[in-house]
Amino acid sequence: MAVIAERPTPGSVRGITLADSWRSFRTAIGLGWAIESNWSDPFLFAIYTLAKPLAAAMILVVMFSVITGGQNPEFLQFLIVGSALWNIVFGVMGGLVQSILEDRERYKMMKYVVVTPSSLFPFLLGRSLARVGISLVAVALTLGVGVVFLGVEFRPNFLILVPASIIGILAVMSLGIFMAGWCLQLRQEAWSYPEAIAGALYLISGAIFPIDILPSFLHPIAYASPTTWWLEASRRGLLGHGSPGSIGDLSDGVVMLLLVVSTAVAIPLALAAFAWFMKRARQAGLLDMTTGT
Amino acid sequence: MTAYRSAPATNPREAADWSTGRVIRTNLRAMFGRAYPRIIGLSREPSWLFFEIFLPFLAVSAFVFVYRALEAPEEYIGFVVLGGAMTAFWLNVVWMMAAQFYWEKDQGNLELYFTAPMHLMSILAGMAIGGLVLTSSRALAVIGIGSVLYGVSYDVNQPLLLMGVFLLTMIPLYGLGMLFASLFLLWGREAFHLAQLLQEPIYFLGGVNFPLAALPGAVVGVVMATLPLGVGLDAMRQLAFADSGVEGVLPVGTEVAILAAMGVIFLIAARLALGYLEHLARREGRLTLRWQ
Repeated sequence: MAVIAERPTPGSVRGITLADSWRSFRTAIGLGWAIESNWSDPFLFAIYTLAKPLAAAMILVVMFSVITGGQNPEFLQFLIVGSALWNIVFGVMGGLVQSILEDRERYKMMKYVVVTPSSLFPFLLGRSLARVGISLVAVALTLGVGVVFLGVEFRPNFLILVPASIIGILAVMSLGIFMAGWCLQLRQEAWSYPEAIAGALYLISGAIFPIDILPSFLHPIAYASPTTWWLEASRRGLLGHGSPGSIGDLSDGVVMLLLVVSTAVAIPLALAAFAWFMKRARQAGLLDMTTGT
Repeated sequence: MTAYRSAPATNPREAADWSTGRVIRTNLRAMFGRAYPRIIGLSREPSWLFFEIFLPFLAVSAFVFVYRALEAPEEYIGFVVLGGAMTAFWLNVVWMMAAQFYWEKDQGNLELYFTAPMHLMSILAGMAIGGLVLTSSRALAVIGIGSVLYGVSYDVNQPLLLMGVFLLTMIPLYGLGMLFASLFLLWGREAFHLAQLLQEPIYFLGGVNFPLAALPGAVVGVVMATLPLGVGLDAMRQLAFADSGVEGVLPVGTEVAILAAMGVIFLIAARLALGYLEHLARREGRLTLRWQ
């Protein structure tokens, strides 16, 4: 049987067009969701997924109640919003890193994805989107509990909230992309790094206490992190006021500007770092490495 | 290295007829053999040291700063540091006891355990002893660093009793881990999610970062009946911060009795669960299937 080979023309090589990337992205979303959810029935899945963020928020609520006896509701609002939004950081960073590590070490599929004409990048984004979606549900649930049971009052300002959410999630994704590339280089304990980095950011971003409480040598790191400004802008967008402490005295415009600037620095740095990490992973043969951890 | 020696048997029946002493020796060897990699891991894998101290310490620091922002009395900082140290043991129980058989199955070791001439309880006891030694160093580091960095002062009037309560807490805690090891294996692919579920919700229910008495009475009742982490922590806080004025849920003596009862119940339950697991392994053979 004669085989007629179709000669590709420049610019039409399959896998490098936007449409092909989109198809790869969509397929990866379905795959990610199947992996995340197919082990249990939906009810049980919901319990497993939502109990953790709710319990994390309730720990803070009880700590607050024990000390203040329910006084200072502004601080409670600060706690609830910070605790709820932080689920996105865990979801995005955990999603991206776990996806790349699972595909490399558990399912051993990453090398096959890499050798396809499509880029790994849209696949990775799609593959991690299920966890991001779950984290958004956790955010909504935690905020809902805050409103219904704890008397948290929202005064939404969508002019701040919408751009802050979009820019903030892009910033968090850039951190996740950086982490995913970095974790490919690690010999041991790569699975622990997202938790460690997210935990460190949790500490310095003013998620559950004002930045002023931190030792002064950590202040510059806190001010440089886009997560700090994303949380502050989101609080202003949701609650109508800023955080307690010095950061709350800044104007809305300054907070948004700092969010945009820190994100504009983070995104290209993360993309460049990811590209370099991938190149190094190819050269060093790390794409099918099994660390055994 | 010493070779394993015994008198040569003249026929298979005689070879299979082990004396009680030989059974005990073999099980002890299995126990120490399983504990060995965890104990030796103390010095062989520095990255473990970093993560097992650093991660609990990050959480401890965040909660310390929350209390400082709320201008809480200083003893609450101590509560958080002690709770953070106990968290290290709980994480060890969840990830290195409860989920361990599931990982062992994935790696192909589980069938070797089933076919080896020793009881699976020896393997679990080895995991517990190794994990206890490994985690004690991490917990001590968290307490030491946290206490120095955040200026925690302790009021310990009965140090021996405090040490006794700590050791007594470890028995039901690791007994629960042994029980979970069998259950996680039975529940298959839910193991990872179960392990996740047993973190923040248990920290909340166990009062890791606040006095247990702050929870509603019905919840405290359930915790006192089922969760050794909560009971042990409440008793240890009463002993480590004797003059703080923060009352425990029950007197220390009562909590000691509860811990002792829990220890017996969880170890028996773990033994029964293992028996059921072994029965399943032989009847269905599915316990050697990966990712199930």
